[in-house]
Amino acid sequence: MTHVVIDPHTFDELQASAGADFVAELVDTFAEEAPTIVAEMRAAFAEGSAERFRRAAHSLKSNSSTFGATRLAELARALELGGLPAHASGVDAVAHELGSTIVALREIARA
Amino acid sequence: MSERPAGATDPAPAQFGRFAIHLAERRLSVDGAPVTLGSRAFDLLAALVTRRDRVVPKDELIEVVWPGLVVEDNNLQVQISALRKVLGTQAISTVPGRGYQFTVAAQPAPAATPPGARPSRAHERRGAGRPRTPRLLVADDNKVNRLLLCRSLELMGHDVTTVENGRSALERLRAEPFDLLLLDLEMPELDGFGLLEQRADDAALQDVPVIVTSSLEGAAAVARCIELGADDYLHKPVNPVLLKARVDASLERKRLRDHQRELLARLGGDRPEGASAAADAVGRHVEATLLSARLHGIDALAALQPAQDTLELLSSWTTLMLDAIEGQGGIVHQMAGDAVAAVFGMSESEPASGGAIWPAVQAALEMRELVAAFNAERAVLAKPAIALAIGIARGSVVAGRAGTPRRAADVCVGAAVQRAARLEELAGGLGAGTVLLDGSSRVALAGRVVTDTLAPAVLPGSADAVPVHALENTA
Repeated sequence: MTHVVIDPHTFDELQASAGADFVAELVDTFAEEAPTIVAEMRAAFAEGSAERFRRAAHSLKSNSSTFGATRLAELARALELGGLPAHASGVDAVAHELGSTIVALREIARA
Repeated sequence: MSERPAGATDPAPAQFGRFAIHLAERRLSVDGAPVTLGSRAFDLLAALVTRRDRVVPKDELIEVVWPGLVVEDNNLQVQISALRKVLGTQAISTVPGRGYQFTVAAQPAPAATPPGARPSRAHERRGAGRPRTPRLLVADDNKVNRLLLCRSLELMGHDVTTVENGRSALERLRAEPFDLLLLDLEMPELDGFGLLEQRADDAALQDVPVIVTSSLEGAAAVARCIELGADDYLHKPVNPVLLKARVDASLERKRLRDHQRELLARLGGDRPEGASAAADAVGRHVEATLLSARLHGIDALAALQPAQDTLELLSSWTTLMLDAIEGQGGIVHQMAGDAVAAVFGMSESEPASGGAIWPAVQAALEMRELVAAFNAERAVLAKPAIALAIGIARGSVVAGRAGTPRRAADVCVGAAVQRAARLEELAGGLGAGTVLLDGSSRVALAGRVVTDTLAPAVLPGSADAVPVHALENTA
């Protein structure tokens, strides 16, 4: 099983400043939005649009950082700064990490 | 205590934006966290809150906080300054010549925005017409970022509107008044850079300050935003403490600009609809009194203490100086961290012939007393004293708004402005608290204060050395 990295300090600070219930709902919003961002990355890759791909990766990096999902943020950042990749393995890795991250975030958000 | 606050028996805390105030239990919390206030400061807060429907005269506040005692105004102003550091400058307004008023609107109890409110509808619950509540516009295409930023700002007590791209943001800015725009860079239709470019060519949009929030990496994006006129830049994820500090600072600068413009407009006339800022460089000559004040020795002090201490010191000093100046009807036309320049006599209600000198001198005396009280507080904390120097000059000035279509500023120019600055420099070399006057100011005072005549000096506007006068410690 993949070990998901959520920075507890970042997540705790988010809950302290915005409220735990609000953050739980924000995690739900992330869970709805993030798969569409990954889909956007796949579409940009298929289309060969480097700028569209970068923007989507940037957006995912930004949200991951907000929750302290450091591994997902690092993967998304590598795609944001790396240009249009030669193959889709990077996006696959992000999609896989995203699924695990959402599960982990929901667990700690409702703990 | 001879008088208890009218709301002292309230069983529940009252919510004012980010603040919960429990008068009966003498407790204050900000964003849910308890804040410790001194006994006098809490009495003062209670007096202002329970009388928030009106401006409360200084004498009335002093009687509530120091019942039966003879207390100078500067003690009150130091307590006001302490409250503003906790509540934010805008929470308590100074009404020149009248007193103070608590400005944060009360919310229905229980708290309208407790942690845990639904994020997706948070901004829809806010009333649009609440008076004095700053109106903020958030432009961000990312829903998570948008909701979180909106939430953070609402918890600070602001009225927040959100849009998803730069095009919509421009439309809203042109249609409605906003106090601040928080702008993402990466957005569809029109991105943040595009919005800043359009704003740079539209003088009307420049009245709304912009804080860019972005997770773009590298200094290039920051530099480009600043070049395009953005006021500040915050990296995402946005630190809530920094967010509050930057938002408060931007709103305070805008409030000050709006206030200055309102008064300066009496000289130069209002800007015609659609005219560029540069076109405001009209105005007329007015006889006014100029005051220049500086905190001397701050460079040496800054080298010896943590940067944060220096910034806090400058913030406290600026708050006290603005209070003294605005309390006497002066208008600050220049601020530079450790220096403040103000003009008196621009109000139409003040006669030009000598009427403005007295408020300027009173402001100077008040500034001196405030710094003395401030130094007494610092001495208790084993912190070194600060030294104030002031120059006052009278003469003809031109005030208005000047600049390029991209960058414009309120200006006040004339030899008297330079004379006041030169006198302040000379005062800095004569010891802490020195207030120097030019000859014209001394004549206009007509003996109402005691002055010493010092060695002549060459001042701007005069080819030869002219007498310089020092204000004595008693008025």
